[in-house]
Amino acid sequence: MGDIERIAASVASLQESFEAHNYICSDQIATAVFLAYQLRKPILIEGPPGVGKTELAKTAAEMFALPLIRLQCYEGLDESKAIYEWKYGKQLLYTQVLKEALDEILQGAKGFKESVKRLHDFGDIFFSEEFLEPRPLLKALREENGCVLLIDEIDKADNEFESLLLEILSDYQVSIPEIGTVKAVAEPPMVFLTSNNTREISDALKRRCLHLYIPFPDSDIEQRIVAARIPEVPPELRRQLVEFIHELRTLDLKKQPAISETIDWARTLVLLHAEALDPKMVTDTLNVILKFQEDIENVTSEVNSITARITK
Amino acid sequence: MTMDRTISNFIRALRNADVRVSTAETLDALGAVELVGYRDKAFLKRSLATVLPKTVDEKDTFDACFDQFFDFQDVRGEQSESDLGGDQSEEREGEEGESGDGEGGGSSGEEPKGKKKKSKSKAKKNNLYEEEEETDLGPGEITDPKSALGQLLMSNDRVELSMAMAAAGEETNVRDIKIFTQKGLYSRRIMDAMGLPDLNREIGDLRTSPQVPARRLGQQLKARRDFLREQTRDYVEKQFLLNADVTGKRLREELLRKIKLSNVEHRNFRLIQEIVYKMAKKLSALHSRRKKVFKRGALNVPRTLRHNMSYDGAIFDLHWKSVKVDRPKVFAICDVSGSVANYARFMLMFLYSLDEVMPKVRSFAFSSDLAEVTELFNRNKIEDAIAKTLRDYGGGSTDYGQALLDFKKNCLDDVDNRTTIIILGDARNNHGEAHAEVLKEIYDRSKRVIWLNPEAKLAWNTGDSEMRKYGAYSHQVEECNSLMHLERVVSNLLKQIA
Repeated sequence: MGDIERIAASVASLQESFEAHNYICSDQIATAVFLAYQLRKPILIEGPPGVGKTELAKTAAEMFALPLIRLQCYEGLDESKAIYEWKYGKQLLYTQVLKEALDEILQGAKGFKESVKRLHDFGDIFFSEEFLEPRPLLKALREENGCVLLIDEIDKADNEFESLLLEILSDYQVSIPEIGTVKAVAEPPMVFLTSNNTREISDALKRRCLHLYIPFPDSDIEQRIVAARIPEVPPELRRQLVEFIHELRTLDLKKQPAISETIDWARTLVLLHAEALDPKMVTDTLNVILKFQEDIENVTSEVNSITARITK
Repeated sequence: MTMDRTISNFIRALRNADVRVSTAETLDALGAVELVGYRDKAFLKRSLATVLPKTVDEKDTFDACFDQFFDFQDVRGEQSESDLGGDQSEEREGEEGESGDGEGGGSSGEEPKGKKKKSKSKAKKNNLYEEEEETDLGPGEITDPKSALGQLLMSNDRVELSMAMAAAGEETNVRDIKIFTQKGLYSRRIMDAMGLPDLNREIGDLRTSPQVPARRLGQQLKARRDFLREQTRDYVEKQFLLNADVTGKRLREELLRKIKLSNVEHRNFRLIQEIVYKMAKKLSALHSRRKKVFKRGALNVPRTLRHNMSYDGAIFDLHWKSVKVDRPKVFAICDVSGSVANYARFMLMFLYSLDEVMPKVRSFAFSSDLAEVTELFNRNKIEDAIAKTLRDYGGGSTDYGQALLDFKKNCLDDVDNRTTIIILGDARNNHGEAHAEVLKEIYDRSKRVIWLNPEAKLAWNTGDSEMRKYGAYSHQVEECNSLMHLERVVSNLLKQIA
């Protein structure tokens, strides 16, 4: 516990600690995590794909030495998959097994009324904790020492699902009709939500979260990221490849290369024992950074001029 | 208390700039400020940036607003901090020695002109004004000013002065300023509230006084009064930018919704675009919810029974009938010849802004020959695609008959009973062959044909307009020449689909 407090005590110590876990973050990111911890608020992270939104949550979990509970969102996700479900099979099995026991219970009961009364005392057992199957959100609330809860790609879920999240995000509790309200045990989970902005997130949800937008990093930070992730890359090549990617991002592309592509490319170039960029090698490895044939064709004609500009 | 005030004023300015801030978020902001403090401006900005703005656009607005607001507010912010802690005043003392060079809060940055003069005269840091005597009365004794404002001006306390000005501003409700012509008025009111009439009287008295020290004071006061005037104007200007700017914009938006689209001036295109996006977003939200409601249906008995067979017929795994919602297939056929081009621009903008609820829009443009421009729109930004469409296909003389024939040849096969066809045009065919029978064929096959005519109803069927012929083969004919019309048409369209 004390460890987390020490790390999250200031923006600088957070940044340091993130860096020790190979996650290079800007002041803005560190500030957001700092506030999220201090104010006990969820963070909604937006940004283009591949800038490390999910990675931020994962690294935070690792850094604070907390378990990571992840809920991947998709269309049609509902409470039975996100919060809890009754173990129907088990319920059924138990009714079958208890059929005989029923006779015993009902033995000696006088009349219909009394039988029903006896059954009533018995019935609630099937909707108790033993038959409850906790799903990620409920699990997160029940973690003894707190945890990091990652709700990934919230924009992929339906609108209704957002409303389902409101209770957990603002009060760190969920209400189960048959049982009652389940509150976070001791330490509320640190919640990270990510969104690729394929649709607008509702105001109600946004209001309950801090909002962090992660753009593509500047060249300096990206170089540090590459250095942290793939230390084998020689510095000169690192500069060149990052600048090349930055040049690409200024072009009109269907999908702009993200940080993950930069890292993949760096790894590829290391495998090819490259010391510096040259047009042929770039053309050969373009498919690592560009994911559409159209983009590749468009860029191929520019490769010569861009590499020349960067390597001069 | 001052902190809360500053933040709530800032939030007011943000709201004015169209950033939505709820009460809950205001409380969050206060929590964040308590944690972070005012000392590190960049840190404060980063912190508030995660709490208050919640979209990328809002973040940009926030950045601009923050810089503008806290640039000025520093004067007061510094006051509240020098009250609180000792180190701030230490900083100020250190600065005094360097004759006003450095970053000690905002007061030195606030008025660069004053600073320059100051360093020249090597006067005290807070010296507001370097004397420029009209008739050199020489240095020497000066009598004390009598009016409150005079004393304030002579005391050389910049912070006190700003405080007084802010207080006067509150008193005159400067935050209610709406239009720029009010700037002069508010400046006067603020100065009056600060006690200008008394000062003027005193200056008048002093300047005619026989004693030299008194006249000296008169000259100084006059010069300082001019300085004060400048400062007040600055203050009002800032308040105007923070508080009024957007009210004007809102007014313009309201007008633009009603104005005829062909009359929209080019400089307002950006604003119109924003409005279109807003409308589209509103419609999207409205109709995506409706779709979901329809999805939930009654119990699907056969399916439920089948699935529960393995549980010995005990029914507890329920399956529901779900209505498969067909997303609308919309074909938009737009006349892009000169007279109608502007309407086509906004219509296309609208349709493509709705991609969340209407993903399958295919669009066609024609003046004489018809061509499909769907690909163009998929590959480019909406604005670019529209510009390209208008450039490539606009300009010819209109031939509706030919366009319909082209449509029939190219994609009549794709029209089925789920397709809605929107035709935008004035139906002015230059007396060519109308080919209404082609429209009939389309009419028979499609779910709906909607004809939108940008002309006023009175002008239909006059001259070379073929509206009567085409109208017969349309399910719906509407006059459509403003954003409000467009919104209504599209909203109806979405309703019918659901």
